[in-house]
Amino acid sequence: MRADPDLISQPGCHPAGASSGISENIGNAVMRSTLSLKDRFTLWLPRLVLSPSLVAVFVGVYLFIAWTGWISLSSSKMVPQYDFVGLEQYVRLWATPRWGTAVANLFVFTALFLTITISVGLAIAILLDQRVRAEGFLRAVYLYPMALSFIVTGTAWKWILNPDLGVEKVVQELGWSSFVFDWITRPEYAIYCVVIAAVWQSTGFAMAIFLAGLRGIDNSIIKAAQIEGAGLPRIYLSIIVPMLRPAFLSVIVLLSYISIKSFDLVLALTNAGPGNATEMPSTFMFSATFRRNQMGVGAASAMMMLMTVAAIIVPYLYSELRETRNEH
Amino acid sequence: MKLTTLLAASISLLPAVAMAEDKGKVEGIHHWVSESEVNALKVITDKLSTKGYTWQDSAVGGLSGANALQALRTRLAAGNPPATMQFLGYEGLDWAKEGVLRSLNELYTTNGWDKALAPQLLAFVKTGDDYISLPINMHRQNWVWANKAVFDKAGIAEPKSWDELIAAGDKLKQAGVVPLAIGDEPWQILEVFEAILVDVNGPDFYKKVVIDLDESALSSEQMVDVFDKLRKVRGLVDDGFTGRDWAVATGMVASGKAGMQIMGDWAKGEFLAKGMKPGVDFLCFPTPAATPNYKFVIDAFGLFKIDDAAITAGQDAWAESIMDPEVQKNFNKIKGSIPARSDVSVEDFDACAQRSFADREAAVSSGAMLGGLTEGFAAQPQFAGVFSDVVGKFFVTDMSSNDAVQALVDGINNAR
Repeated sequence: MRADPDLISQPGCHPAGASSGISENIGNAVMRSTLSLKDRFTLWLPRLVLSPSLVAVFVGVYLFIAWTGWISLSSSKMVPQYDFVGLEQYVRLWATPRWGTAVANLFVFTALFLTITISVGLAIAILLDQRVRAEGFLRAVYLYPMALSFIVTGTAWKWILNPDLGVEKVVQELGWSSFVFDWITRPEYAIYCVVIAAVWQSTGFAMAIFLAGLRGIDNSIIKAAQIEGAGLPRIYLSIIVPMLRPAFLSVIVLLSYISIKSFDLVLALTNAGPGNATEMPSTFMFSATFRRNQMGVGAASAMMMLMTVAAIIVPYLYSELRETRNEH
Repeated sequence: MKLTTLLAASISLLPAVAMAEDKGKVEGIHHWVSESEVNALKVITDKLSTKGYTWQDSAVGGLSGANALQALRTRLAAGNPPATMQFLGYEGLDWAKEGVLRSLNELYTTNGWDKALAPQLLAFVKTGDDYISLPINMHRQNWVWANKAVFDKAGIAEPKSWDELIAAGDKLKQAGVVPLAIGDEPWQILEVFEAILVDVNGPDFYKKVVIDLDESALSSEQMVDVFDKLRKVRGLVDDGFTGRDWAVATGMVASGKAGMQIMGDWAKGEFLAKGMKPGVDFLCFPTPAATPNYKFVIDAFGLFKIDDAAITAGQDAWAESIMDPEVQKNFNKIKGSIPARSDVSVEDFDACAQRSFADREAAVSSGAMLGGLTEGFAAQPQFAGVFSDVVGKFFVTDMSSNDAVQALVDGINNAR
């Protein structure tokens, strides 16, 4: 909405604004408030260009969110039923032990995944920022895992963590015969295997964002701090890391929804096993909806996931938007 | 002038040529994508082309057919169903309830197919008074596959009860062989569980538990005992069973690294592909039961209602191709199963298939012919899912048998 008056009052923005005749025209047109066909088109062009994507987003995202919400209140099993049974599906969902496991796993996974990825990523970024030799090469090395899909990561780590094929076997063959690393076979530890693989994949990404943030910090600030007699750890802890706040926010938001929608990694690495120990809300939703004829329960779990995402994204958007308002 | 004549002539010729060879297309969705499955399907489609129709293949592989079902949902929602689709378990019956499948009564009665099928099979191809699908094959699920050399070396004969089987496993363990090759995927474990369930307690108890979902049977002492036996079977498994594919487990038996595998007869193809011979290099015998039983899994094709006479005629030709005795025979020789029709001779099939055929005849008359739970031929998916959750968890954790029974009862009640 705000763009329209700008467009009219600033003929320079006009694609054909180079010709002074036309800009005059616009001025007249505004005054007379009857626009020629061409000007009308110019006026409507941004709306026209935006509207298909607006419709696509509205139908593809918001309409289907509403539809899923509706289905979650119905008795749908194999195919959608448009009746109303209240919160029955939500009651059934929370009475399913597998859903409890999935939710607990989501919290364990998200907490560990975020903490480890951010701290390791930040540490690498700070070390790389010390003008080390071959920095470009090292940066590429750390970033490469990100180029892989989670399916590849999951499959590779499935073999690395398998006690008969991977780390355990190699260490035992090297001579430490009592070495045991069989977490992936043990339901109580298997979720940590998913954390290991996810951290391996995403650390480079966190590093890249932090590195970009570090490069954006003015050197004179650091110099000023040094003149004041602050040591290097103190400079990092009290000045540089707090200045990375925008980078932290981006990393946290991006990583947390990677963890909420983590589906392919779990499927490839453990297939939600052993014994559903690594079930995630996303894998639960898929199997309820598409494999177990429990479309209502699946929709209820999808709504729960949406609420979790909203709980993270809405405060973030709110704080970001408030900040931009304050700046103006 | 000359060019236009030529063009006109070629245009008028084209449809004529096509008409002579091709009466139309029959489009089908299925999830047969492995080599032997594709070759087996070709037997049916070749028959179809002799009837003048071309097969339009819409294979959707992956996730035991879950992807194909999603494709079907989309096609139905768009009002553009395929001519035919492969169904497992209750899928065909569920779609028939939605009213999208053709009734095949006329085809069945004119061709006498109703008399060619085992009565227990009808539960999956008929709903109410209507026949709704065409079964092509029958797999038997409750098989034990064993390496003959390993068995001979350890001095083990075919076990006659689960206690004997577990004892044989202990012997194999002492001989330094992995007794039972299995993966930790819940469905592989569920196959063992349901075998114990029916073998120890008999077909009637199985029906009460997994078909009627009778609460008193589900929470009975017999169920605790079934879990106790499953716990003993757990002791026969090696540590590397995480994420092991069933075919990899079959490979362990074939190479002699493991002694046995409990799996449906799709495992047979893995042995045959390695050039091994039944009875000579590997053994096949049913899971040891007091009352012999036969657990079946069938693939069947349904025909969708489409308002187009040409497509309907093509569907009829497809139905006749599937139910052709010669097609059923050649298809199943490649697929490793036995014909769904009970009246097809299996004389030139291998020893395992012949045993399967004979056992089926016995089970049909004794009433011990049962649908496999794992593959969706006993309980509806939402209940079968609870069995697989509980049994899968029990196998990999140290959950007690009593807790497992309680979890099963609670889970089933929650899914009702």
